[in-house]
Amino acid sequence: MRTRLKAFAIILLSAVFVLGLAACGGGKSSSGGSSDGSGNAGGTTQTGNSGSGGPSGGGSQETVEIRFTWWGDTARNDLYNAIVDRFEEEYPHIKVKREFGGWADYWDRLATQSAGGNAPDVVSMHQFYVADYAARGALLDLQTVIDSGELDVSLFPEAALDSGRVNGTLVMIPKGITMPGWVYHTATLDKLGIAYPDINWTYDDLIAISRQVVEKSGGTMWGTPDMGGGQLQPNFRYFVRQNGEDLYTEDGKLGFSRDTLVKWWSMWKQMRDEKLIPDAATSAEYDGVPLEQNLFVTGKVALYQIPANQIYLYEQQFPEGEIHMVRMPSLPGGQNGEYLEGAYLSITAQSKHPKEAALFINFFVNSERSLELFKVEQGSPANTDMAEFVKPLLAAPQARAVDFIQTVIPYATSAAYAPAGATEVEAAFKDNATAIAFGQKTVEQAADDFLAAANRILGQ
Amino acid sequence: MQSILASWKNSKWPTHLLIIAGAFIMIYPLFWMISASFKPNTEIFRNTSLIPETFTLENYRYGWKGLSGVTFGHFFLNTFMLVAACIVGNIFSCSMAAYAFARLEFALRRVWFALMLVTMMLPFHVTIIPQYIMFNQLDMINTYWPLILPKYFAAEGFFVFLMVQFIRSIPRELDEAVKIDGGGPFMLYGYLIMPLALPAIITTTIFTFIWTWNDFFAQMLYISELKLYTVSLGLRMFLDAMGQNQWGAMFAMSTLSLIPLFVIFVFFQRYLIEGIATGSLKG
Amino acid sequence: MNPKLINVLKRNAVGYLFLSPWLLGLIGLSALPILASLYFSFTRYDMLTAPDWIGLDNYREMLLNDQKWRNSLKVTLIYVLLGVPLQLVFALSIALMLNRGIRGLRIYRAIYYVPSLFGGSVAVALLWRQLFGGEGLVNLLLRQIGLPGHNWIASPDTALYTLIVLKIWQFGAPMVIFLAALKQVPTELYEASRIDGAGRWKQFWRITLPLITPIVFFNVVMQTIQAFQAFTPAYIVSRGTGGPLDSTLFYTLYLYQKGFTHFQMGYAASMAWVLLIVIAFVTAMLFLSARKWVYYQE
Repeated sequence: MRTRLKAFAIILLSAVFVLGLAACGGGKSSSGGSSDGSGNAGGTTQTGNSGSGGPSGGGSQETVEIRFTWWGDTARNDLYNAIVDRFEEEYPHIKVKREFGGWADYWDRLATQSAGGNAPDVVSMHQFYVADYAARGALLDLQTVIDSGELDVSLFPEAALDSGRVNGTLVMIPKGITMPGWVYHTATLDKLGIAYPDINWTYDDLIAISRQVVEKSGGTMWGTPDMGGGQLQPNFRYFVRQNGEDLYTEDGKLGFSRDTLVKWWSMWKQMRDEKLIPDAATSAEYDGVPLEQNLFVTGKVALYQIPANQIYLYEQQFPEGEIHMVRMPSLPGGQNGEYLEGAYLSITAQSKHPKEAALFINFFVNSERSLELFKVEQGSPANTDMAEFVKPLLAAPQARAVDFIQTVIPYATSAAYAPAGATEVEAAFKDNATAIAFGQKTVEQAADDFLAAANRILGQ
Repeated sequence: MQSILASWKNSKWPTHLLIIAGAFIMIYPLFWMISASFKPNTEIFRNTSLIPETFTLENYRYGWKGLSGVTFGHFFLNTFMLVAACIVGNIFSCSMAAYAFARLEFALRRVWFALMLVTMMLPFHVTIIPQYIMFNQLDMINTYWPLILPKYFAAEGFFVFLMVQFIRSIPRELDEAVKIDGGGPFMLYGYLIMPLALPAIITTTIFTFIWTWNDFFAQMLYISELKLYTVSLGLRMFLDAMGQNQWGAMFAMSTLSLIPLFVIFVFFQRYLIEGIATGSLKG
Repeated sequence: MNPKLINVLKRNAVGYLFLSPWLLGLIGLSALPILASLYFSFTRYDMLTAPDWIGLDNYREMLLNDQKWRNSLKVTLIYVLLGVPLQLVFALSIALMLNRGIRGLRIYRAIYYVPSLFGGSVAVALLWRQLFGGEGLVNLLLRQIGLPGHNWIASPDTALYTLIVLKIWQFGAPMVIFLAALKQVPTELYEASRIDGAGRWKQFWRITLPLITPIVFFNVVMQTIQAFQAFTPAYIVSRGTGGPLDSTLFYTLYLYQKGFTHFQMGYAASMAWVLLIVIAFVTAMLFLSARKWVYYQE
């Protein structure tokens, strides 16, 4: 009994001690603090405020605090923190609180914060979610801060600005533009003795090269992964646009025909039956795996589809050879499928400091001090002057990416954004495509099911 | 001959062998993770053996560096404080509630008990939004309060229920001993029930530690400032589905983060050994 | 005043005093979110704009039209019905084995708990792929003995079972609780029974098991409630999609998708309340059955 009492007493005392510690120490740390800066080593050289509009807008000089969020890993976090530090140097009366997380967590947190009335001021935004946020009035109309002078977009090509409009309202500004393409690894194709695809290759070329890959690798490799399902963009969307249609119409209904869908899924089914692409189970196994483990990096497929700004990441994964990019496969006699993609910045409608937020975005996308660090982190800068400015700072793979983007941009035409509810349509697409892959539905059946579901979701 | 057979029967060898084999199955992922933490990023997925081709400490250095001057050590400290506060809260509030449910009589006792169980049946994803709004009104976002406060109000029914079951396993005759000496319910709580329910309290301590340490979603929602980051938030920093992943650093810090968990577990489980030795009470 | 009344009042006062932290917490911290979620279940709520009352529409849609909902319920039921008993049997067996006073007990006990420390971490996801993937260890072993391999982790017919194996492998928590319970059994009872000639099996059935039924009951109830709400295992196999072909679409995973990815928090709330009813029903059944087999010493 005594030892038990002693043990209990020990726990009691340590608990009281710990409670006291917690109460005095960490428990009460409230937010009122400012940012951590470590990137001040860059010195205080005040290079010219190229296009940054100066600290004239925004009136009062008392300290204003804005919150900025982004998604990324440690490397990007360091980079962004450095950029934000530079901004704070230039605008001493604006303090920026930084918040970041991984991709999935970012959106969970943003939704919760928005629901709780606690949304940040400047948010990183993406095509995938912008329609949902814009349609529900969560994002500020940026035209207001352009008109009042805090945000300067004079050097942005119209196509770039257009990609940030939802239903005619400008809700996001690109920090980096990228285009998707297909890549191959020079060393791999060399070893297999296959000629590189031409930059303007077609779907037939894709199938032909895949056949060669399977044959020459003795069946150990596939041509490409199964791109028939998964997300609607970019692969299916390009196909749809090449057929003269688009995913959605301006008024939020489905914009492509059953015919197009059946053609698409049939093509991939044929490839699957011929074993040019992995079987359903393997595709499921590799679905969404991290870059280092995907089919391309592990040498199981010879061709892969990625956004151009990831070229340098892939090149790092291989001990030798280079990664080259070609356009998305084209349809002979078809239209150009290209449309602009990228990573964007928005201001939330809940923000109490839209002017300061605009100044921040302005600095981020227009100033040399920012772009000098950003380079092409999430794509090529939209500001044409800045795109030229960063070129000499780039390593070979990144320069290749920028060249590709510049080459393909002229082909881009406008692209309507998905209506709210698009994520559900995506889910229906993916489910039906997977059902075909596992042999549970025929192409015709799956197409019918998908169209029924999509139309129901979009409220027809 | 009989004695040999007898010793075979009583031999613990087969069991021992089984235990060792089982232990290996249990601990293999730990070995794998530790070995990965000493491999450079590009080797981790290429080389599946437990021996690194290139042994490196770079992952530990890079991982510990943390971000923007906030080291991983800082994250560890934050988490320790958070966990300590949670443990204290859980032990006191849950034991009190459990004592009430298990030993005391009062109106509506069964109703409250049922209600407590029911609160555990609602998935937290739907209560998190209104809860967030509530804490936002109280200006507690980006602090540890939303994580700690519920622990002081017995919000984790798991531990209340656990202690209830343990307390109910204590024979009532022992209560009589205290009552005969003139002890009231408070004496009973302090001198008998709490010490005898020590295994339950230890279990509560261990699990609160581990679960709070590993908890992610709530911490991710409520804490956005780097200086307040906990270990699980810090670990997530190394991965980004859309870009690069710092696998080596993540595994290195994960390995480090398992050490306190392991230590706590080993340290506290000794107290699980002591149970009721009714002999010592009778005397 | 009537002394009996005073006594009753005193007892109630003491009871409520001890209960007060929990009660305060229920009223102050939990009640509002719980009631709010009930309210949301009758609305269309996308988190970014105010909720919009639509009555029973969510429930109607879910129960009548939603194929995925039915599927997720099925997946979860299989997981609970197979995973919980298997895991607990394992946990109890290991606990009994470790309770035998072998040397190095402490170390083994810690080692057997290690899998549970990993939870749903990335390391486990990787490991599970290495074991059960198309080119995983399991297939390697099977091919050695001439059996065909199968993509366990990515085939719709087997993916869920790899998660059940995962649950069984992470038996640490109930095992620790069983160990605590086993230690509470007075050793004199074993002594006495051995003198009476009882073998190990009999000792288990007549002494151990009956005395630990309160804890067995606890583990059964808690593991069931938790298994119904399983969420992170889906990330191990399908990275949160519930695939392949929704074969690992746990109920709370679908709920989360509806709420956070599709911005339909109202629908998610109604899913949550239906789940609550299901779990409450199952738990009530368990409690009723407890009278037959759970033995308290009080």
